[in-house]
Amino acid sequence: MAIHERSLVEPERILRKERLVVEGIDVSGDWNLIILPRVINDYDLDFAKEIINSPDGKTINQCYQCSYCTASCPVHNYWDERYNPRHFIYLARLGMIDELQKRADVMWRCVSCHKCTHRCPKGVLVEEVLKVILRTMAKKGLIEEYPSKKFDKFFTEQVLEYGRIEDGELLFGWIEKQGYKVVKDPILKKPIPFIGETPEWLKELTMKPIKSMNIGFLMLNAKHMLFHPRTKNWNRFKQVLRKVMEEEGALAH
Amino acid sequence: MAKKVLVAGGGPAGLGAARVLGRLGVPTLLVEKEDKLGGRPVLEGYHTLIPRKLKPSQVLGPYIKEVEDNPNVEVKLKTELEACEGEPGNFKVKLSNGETHEVAAVVVATGFQHFDARRKGELGYGLYPDVITNLELEQMFSREGKLYRPSNGQLPKRVAFVFCVGSRDRQLGVTNVHCCRYGCALSGLQGSEIREHYPDVDVFCYYMDVRTYGTWEYPFYWAPQEKYGVRYVRGRIAEITYSPADGRLRVKHEDTIVQRPAEVPMDLVVLVLGMEPSEGTKKVAKILGLAQDPDSQFLIPSEESGSNIISNRPGVFIAGACKGPIDIESSLSEGEAAAAEAASFIGAKVSV
Repeated sequence: MAIHERSLVEPERILRKERLVVEGIDVSGDWNLIILPRVINDYDLDFAKEIINSPDGKTINQCYQCSYCTASCPVHNYWDERYNPRHFIYLARLGMIDELQKRADVMWRCVSCHKCTHRCPKGVLVEEVLKVILRTMAKKGLIEEYPSKKFDKFFTEQVLEYGRIEDGELLFGWIEKQGYKVVKDPILKKPIPFIGETPEWLKELTMKPIKSMNIGFLMLNAKHMLFHPRTKNWNRFKQVLRKVMEEEGALAH
Repeated sequence: MAKKVLVAGGGPAGLGAARVLGRLGVPTLLVEKEDKLGGRPVLEGYHTLIPRKLKPSQVLGPYIKEVEDNPNVEVKLKTELEACEGEPGNFKVKLSNGETHEVAAVVVATGFQHFDARRKGELGYGLYPDVITNLELEQMFSREGKLYRPSNGQLPKRVAFVFCVGSRDRQLGVTNVHCCRYGCALSGLQGSEIREHYPDVDVFCYYMDVRTYGTWEYPFYWAPQEKYGVRYVRGRIAEITYSPADGRLRVKHEDTIVQRPAEVPMDLVVLVLGMEPSEGTKKVAKILGLAQDPDSQFLIPSEESGSNIISNRPGVFIAGACKGPIDIESSLSEGEAAAAEAASFIGAKVSV
């Protein structure tokens, strides 16, 4: 059966099967197409409770949907109407996960200007609440992690390991993580810059400062690339820090 | 001969009026249709009264006791006003027990009745045992002291409040277009009570607007949400169905914020009933020739007077829910105000 007004039905709601057998009866052919209804069948209250019960998400219950936050939100006003903090709060509070997922591509776009939080007449910590919603969704695998988050994690790992970052290693390690082939020296297993599949834009980006560096600084950088600098007494501190972060669940996100 | 005042109705407004008249030393005749004083809160077994969260016995008990004990007040139960003749200041009233009295003024406090939810067939009241009214929920609390599903006696996992049943509804005719005024606040209170005693029960309020006006905003709207976690969903319930597969009800509505239709499972559905003028109010209006709202049939105050207890007929004062939805504390104070007006109308000498 053809759908005459296909534009009215979202593609994900159309089920079409080549062969369809319902209760032993072959209904392939004319009846093999099903349009799923738009009806909300239930609320996912476990999801909602996880947000409400988290220490930074409990102000979500104070929202009375006046939309002061959305009216103030620069992301909503200047970028995409689908970024609507007031609506995210409503959806999260009732656990309407499919509706939240429809907006997954815009949900990470908060610029943290905190206008929403400062203006909310009910004292909802809007920006915090939205972060909790995202965190909970990410934890449950309901939303793909925002690309910048992946870099944050990589960065944090390096800081945790050495107490500081090393530019070359951070850069080329990240490049390697993105799937480029990085050539390493056989002894120390450190990446050798600009050999292998370094993208053109990166070569250009890194060569500019390198060209203007004096030779002493360049040598220092090269030494750091080979022998990663470490914060004093870091090994002891690192263990404590890692433990605390693990306990607070800060490493997972 | 002492000038007497007739108070028609023994509910909050009538008790307020009779108590003040008795205290002022005015001979008073209190006529009540039912067999006890107190009106709807006492007769129907309300549990907690808004806005002060007191029991009906706490609020109305002292009034009933004083009215019954005061020698100036003559209480006639199971009695109604049948006819009234004469001029203001000199009415001759006939009661249903055959007595006639001469009274100088009348305080009408004949009250309201609850909307009959069976008139909204699509909501399934009377058809599904788990669809109850907010009055029945009050009685469940006050008489049985526990929350349960009438179909199986078990604790519901989810409770839905359906706002505006029999209010703001032109489908019922012009009689029910007004707002019931108490429903939003009472639902907030009942929802909070459920959440307080049964924290695992999820409570949903299906609303179009939340009209917890004035100082009721915090205790009956903010606190239920912030303190007790009652959920508010915007959308009027259009239909309630029953699913034999899981034995639960489905509330059909459009979530007007998400703009999607929804059929959400619920275990107990509470219909928030509107207020209508009682039979007694309609009857008294005819007997005394009082002006009524052409739509709702509630009594309306005199157009010339700014006060809403002065009726269109001199010597007749109207107080409480016979004039439209009102809360109990306001009903009491209107009764008291009407008593003062009646006392001054008959020129009673008040010793100070």
